[in-house]
Amino acid sequence: MKNLNRRDFLKSTALGVSAVALGATSVKGADKTLSEDRIGILVDTAVCIGCRNCEWACRVAHDMPTKELESYSDNSVFKEYRRPDKTALTVVNQFENEKNPLLPVYVKNQCMHCERPACVSACIVGALTKQADGSVIWDDDKCIGCRYCMVACQFQIPSYDYDKSIDPHIRKCDLCFERRKKEKLPACVNICPNEALLFGKRSEIIQIAKNRIKRKPDEYIDHIYGEFEIGGTSWMYIAGKNFEKLKMPPLGNNPAPGISESIQHGIFAYFVPPVALYALLGTVMWITRRRNGENDEENILKPHDEKGENK
Amino acid sequence: MIPWPIKNKFLTPGVFILIIIALNGLAFLSIRFVSGIGAVTNLDNVTPWGLWIGVDVAAGVALAAGGFTSAALGHIFHREDYNVIVRPALLTAMLGYTFVAFAVFSDIGRFYYIWHPLIMWNGNSALFEVGICVMIYMTVLYIEFLPIVTERFIGRVDLPEFLSFLNKPVDNLLRYLDNRLSLTMFIFIIAGVVLSTLHQSSLGTLMVIAGQKMHPLWQTPVLPLLFLLSAISVGFPMVMFESLIASRSFKLKPEMKILSRLGSMVAPIIGVYLAVKLGDLFIRETFKYIFILDTTAWMFIAEMGLMIIAFILFLSKKITSSPLGLFTASTFVIAGVLLNRFNNFVIAYNPFFNPTKYYPSFGEISVTLGCIALLVLVYRTIVMIFPVISQERTDLNKKIVEFYNSKNGR
Amino acid sequence: MMMKKVYFLYIPLILIICIAGSNLLPKGLTKKFDADKGNFSKENQNNNLTHVESDFTNQTLTCKSCHETEYPTKNDPGLRKCPRFDMISKFPTFNKGPEVVDIKEMSDKYTDVVFSHKIHSQMSEMSIGCTDCHHYNTTGPVLNCRECHEQNRSREDVSVPDLKAAFHRQCMGCHKQWSHDNGCSTQCHSNKGTDVKNRDRQEMLDKKHPKVTEPTKMIWETNSAAGKIVTFFHNEHNQLFKINCNTCHKQENCTKCHDVNNPKDDKNPIGIKKSFEDHHKPCMNCHNENACEKCHKEKEMTPFNHSSSAGWTLKNYHSRLACEKCHGNSMPFKKLDNNCTSCHKNFAPGKFDHKLAGLTLSENHKEMECENCHLKNDFSKPPDCKTCHDDKSFPAQSPGKR
Repeated sequence: MKNLNRRDFLKSTALGVSAVALGATSVKGADKTLSEDRIGILVDTAVCIGCRNCEWACRVAHDMPTKELESYSDNSVFKEYRRPDKTALTVVNQFENEKNPLLPVYVKNQCMHCERPACVSACIVGALTKQADGSVIWDDDKCIGCRYCMVACQFQIPSYDYDKSIDPHIRKCDLCFERRKKEKLPACVNICPNEALLFGKRSEIIQIAKNRIKRKPDEYIDHIYGEFEIGGTSWMYIAGKNFEKLKMPPLGNNPAPGISESIQHGIFAYFVPPVALYALLGTVMWITRRRNGENDEENILKPHDEKGENK
Repeated sequence: MIPWPIKNKFLTPGVFILIIIALNGLAFLSIRFVSGIGAVTNLDNVTPWGLWIGVDVAAGVALAAGGFTSAALGHIFHREDYNVIVRPALLTAMLGYTFVAFAVFSDIGRFYYIWHPLIMWNGNSALFEVGICVMIYMTVLYIEFLPIVTERFIGRVDLPEFLSFLNKPVDNLLRYLDNRLSLTMFIFIIAGVVLSTLHQSSLGTLMVIAGQKMHPLWQTPVLPLLFLLSAISVGFPMVMFESLIASRSFKLKPEMKILSRLGSMVAPIIGVYLAVKLGDLFIRETFKYIFILDTTAWMFIAEMGLMIIAFILFLSKKITSSPLGLFTASTFVIAGVLLNRFNNFVIAYNPFFNPTKYYPSFGEISVTLGCIALLVLVYRTIVMIFPVISQERTDLNKKIVEFYNSKNGR
Repeated sequence: MMMKKVYFLYIPLILIICIAGSNLLPKGLTKKFDADKGNFSKENQNNNLTHVESDFTNQTLTCKSCHETEYPTKNDPGLRKCPRFDMISKFPTFNKGPEVVDIKEMSDKYTDVVFSHKIHSQMSEMSIGCTDCHHYNTTGPVLNCRECHEQNRSREDVSVPDLKAAFHRQCMGCHKQWSHDNGCSTQCHSNKGTDVKNRDRQEMLDKKHPKVTEPTKMIWETNSAAGKIVTFFHNEHNQLFKINCNTCHKQENCTKCHDVNNPKDDKNPIGIKKSFEDHHKPCMNCHNENACEKCHKEKEMTPFNHSSSAGWTLKNYHSRLACEKCHGNSMPFKKLDNNCTSCHKNFAPGKFDHKLAGLTLSENHKEMECENCHLKNDFSKPPDCKTCHDDKSFPAQSPGKR
């Protein structure tokens, strides 16, 4: 079902792009601001041991309430599949390992920091921005809480404070923007005992991931999730089994905001279509007015001329 | 036939029920503003947009399309005979958009930042485009409504006694406005139509970015076109619907001559909409999802069924010439478009990680119904104050006399 | 007086010469360039390799294994980033190492981590040996982890894990079933102040694993309808076919034999319940057969025999050859036919040097056609003299020098 969805979507993508060929030119160059040395983080699921220390470090780094680190060894949380929310910007989930049932696979989930983020494209006030270093950051001072970013995000990452009336936040991983300002690594990367989270330049990280897959072809499938998915993401994953089984959505390689931006820029290509429509309607109005010569502008607006009579 | 304030009793049993519904909605709305959106709605991180966006905003904008379609017909194509419907349609659009703005105000988390899009721009965002267009269009609608205000009050400014010294300046201001507006009104009328075209279609672009999260029966790059066409389709039926209700409610004779002619124009528009919609369905080969016959498919069938029935009804001369037939046919179109908007924003939204399925809560439904009730009440109030609905002159003369008699008597 | 001071200046010079000289001397392991294969093959094995299971003689080392650049020089050797298993040229022996290793890296927060080196090294015999952990060793001494693995996580080259990760992966790579109930501070690390170290140390020293001997053959009884008995000749795969241990024994750890979820299993491995696929995979990886009866027989299989398997008895020169000389390096072995010319491409009449067959032909026989002696060009059997010579003319000696 999902696969079919995707195929249809891709088909419709082609349709849409051809339908609004005008917009195609203005979509490019959105990643011009991205630095060559932008961040990449590799999640090596074969190395992750599911200790959940990253969850603890993330909460501490973002001043969120948390229990002490020791309590994170409790693996009963793995019983149900969890998603990042306002209480945890990152969560680790457990999956069955068919190759060895005794050693499960763990997958850390958080904002993927897309190369072409849908949330940034969608945000009505530009409160979400793609930084040159690759991170996607939310601006508290701009956000109006419309939750369109949540609609747009293909990974369903942004979460919202539904129980707050004043100052509700959109919460998601910010790649520890504040920590990195002080030349520190993101909290999760820093604490990971196995360095299952490998932090570096995106281009180098991809190369390292490829080498790992090449070196252990039995251990990994030949796919770096996030290298090309919806135009590429900053967080990338390698694993020993199909990513769909690890609940990573099967997304095409087209950037998520691609079609909607093409349409948007097609409708508004240098304001030509609206102005043209305006001119056209004006002309029609002028011509029809001439045809109905006896009615002048005032009469059209006020077809009743009874004021005096009624007084 | 001239527009004139309706003179009926305001309070009727129906109005009383509307007031109760409105108060119920306002009560829930106040909870939302005190304890947050989560306290009233069933929205969560999986389903960030629900009934309020789907119906209050999206369907609200669509159903207010009568404003620009009739303005285009009456003013731009200069079909003066349709002018009787322009004013009610304008009022509906104005109130509709006001309530859309109000719904947006309630639905966005940081309602106190609603002015942000005015100064913080993101040209890539479809929502930004919708927001800005709706804001400008609302202003245009208010400007378009101004002549009705000036018409009502020029020479009749009668402020309470302690402000009576202002009577003259206010009258002069109204006359000045009236004079200026009559010269520049065509600018606003065209602008209104252009803005409507833009944001009605951009409303469709909104959900395109949801990508695979949206069910393939609805997710298509031609969504903007479909939204525009369906908005135009529902424009005239909405005018007919409210005209017929108003005439029944105010015990006026329905304007069947005009409405029938209007009705005969609806079928081709719906035809174009259906052709594009079905064509898209077949080009993308998504019709196969209909045969799955799950809830989603049934919702699609219902939506399409309503539009197809409406199309057939509007084709018949017999139907378009009878008030009941016209009313029924219009109801089908309205229901079809309403369901289409609801489907697009709520039913079609089908995320990958989907532990919960969204159902609107009682509070959400209450607020939506309350808003509609409030809108009807405000409409009733305004048509009783301002010359909006056209009435037969013979009736009118009598009423005018009654009106002034009562006024003098008070 | 002055002269004596000048002599002192020679001391560092002599030292340098000694060090340089010692590096130039061959060290037990000499290599010879094999022109056929285009790589180095080990010839003399006078290094103390007591560890039979980790016989790396088949390892193919090329220049590119270590050097990235086309023309490496002494100043710019252009060494590759850790190639891991491709890089090993020294094979430490398991019984030479320390009994216990104290890892002091986190001494500010925790007590030393005590690593029971002995039992780990003993058990490594089961798998690919010491190199499983000591995965990068050139000809020098066993390297410390921190020689390659940087202490700082925020570093320039992230292709090699940092020290913290290197330590943890070394343990956790196998001990993935670490108890989630206890966390870090009781399993390996102890918070400073708690005195559990000595007891642990003694416990570790006492721990022994019974010696696991390398089997020659293994016999399983199965429920298969095709046949109950499956025979596996371990010695043949290992010694005859020269298959590397780690071709089959990949990433093995205790869980291969012990059920960690069952504490009673500690002493007496009853074997892990394996799926159908897990049972068959080790064989199916190379033998991609679909017929059950190929392995499942009614009785034990006989050891490998070239004449019964291939229908061709290995004699004389051929019996001394390694399998891959004819069957190629790649697994599974290339199948050959009985025609000499399939391998000996130069065995054409007129060109053939009969000396290669172990017999130099005498002048009388040299000019004859092959077919005259090897009837019907059948070279599998040596010719019979009687076919040409009758009793009277039967020569006193053979048709040439052996």
